[in-house]
Amino acid sequence: MAQAVGPATTPVREIGTEPEVTADLPWDVIVWDDPVNLMSYVVFVFKRVFGFPDHLARKLMLEVHEQGRALVASEPREQAERYVHALHGYGLRATMERPA
Amino acid sequence: MTATFVRRGDLIRLQLRPQEVDLLVRLAGELRTALEEPGPDDPVAARLFPPAVLGDPDADREVRDLLADALLADRLAGLESVLELVARGRRSKGRLVVDLEEDEPLLVLGVLNDIRLAIGARIDIEAIDRDRVAEHDPVAYPIAVMDHLGWWQEQLLAILDGQDRSA
Repeated sequence: MAQAVGPATTPVREIGTEPEVTADLPWDVIVWDDPVNLMSYVVFVFKRVFGFPDHLARKLMLEVHEQGRALVASEPREQAERYVHALHGYGLRATMERPA
Repeated sequence: MTATFVRRGDLIRLQLRPQEVDLLVRLAGELRTALEEPGPDDPVAARLFPPAVLGDPDADREVRDLLADALLADRLAGLESVLELVARGRRSKGRLVVDLEEDEPLLVLGVLNDIRLAIGARIDIEAIDRDRVAEHDPVAYPIAVMDHLGWWQEQLLAILDGQDRSA
């Protein structure tokens, strides 16, 4: 059986380092334009994945189409991963990133 | 032109001409092969399993590793289901007719999209100016197939959208 091990001395934060404060910050989920997915299909996917009302799904789809990308969600990492997974499953180009 | 998808009460009916059946079965089989035995530089795999995290290669690798198996399994299951649907269809007035139930319309929609994405990746659709593609250009036929399957998707989406509004 493995023994529990611990530091021999109390950890001391090094000068100049800061505690990790970004871990719980939301991640932005971005959908990117592509020339294959139909506009009606993207609207359909937004409504199914996010439960968006029709007008919001269409607005975001047009943002993707005209500006090349749209921010569709800002969520903690696990939820952002679930959204990216779902969007990839539907064939959309989606990424997550820490907000700048 | 007869519709490929029509609403029949609670069901959505898929009706395909023989050459459309052959096309769908061939393309689904080709995509299954591309997913099961991807080549090292296969653009299809790159398109269907795209980057997940921007600006952090380690996190991207971690998330993609996490999602890859489930995404692949879902895609292969969808392809298998669509091939089974075609196999269970009945012949009527020169067409193959399949009544789609429950989640089957969504499966078909997703497989059609994956096939279109795969075709687009193979011909590098993003580098093509569609207005300049001549009739006998090698990419003219793949583009025509993409558009034909896109027309199927539009029909199916119109029906599914109508169901959502009436729910």
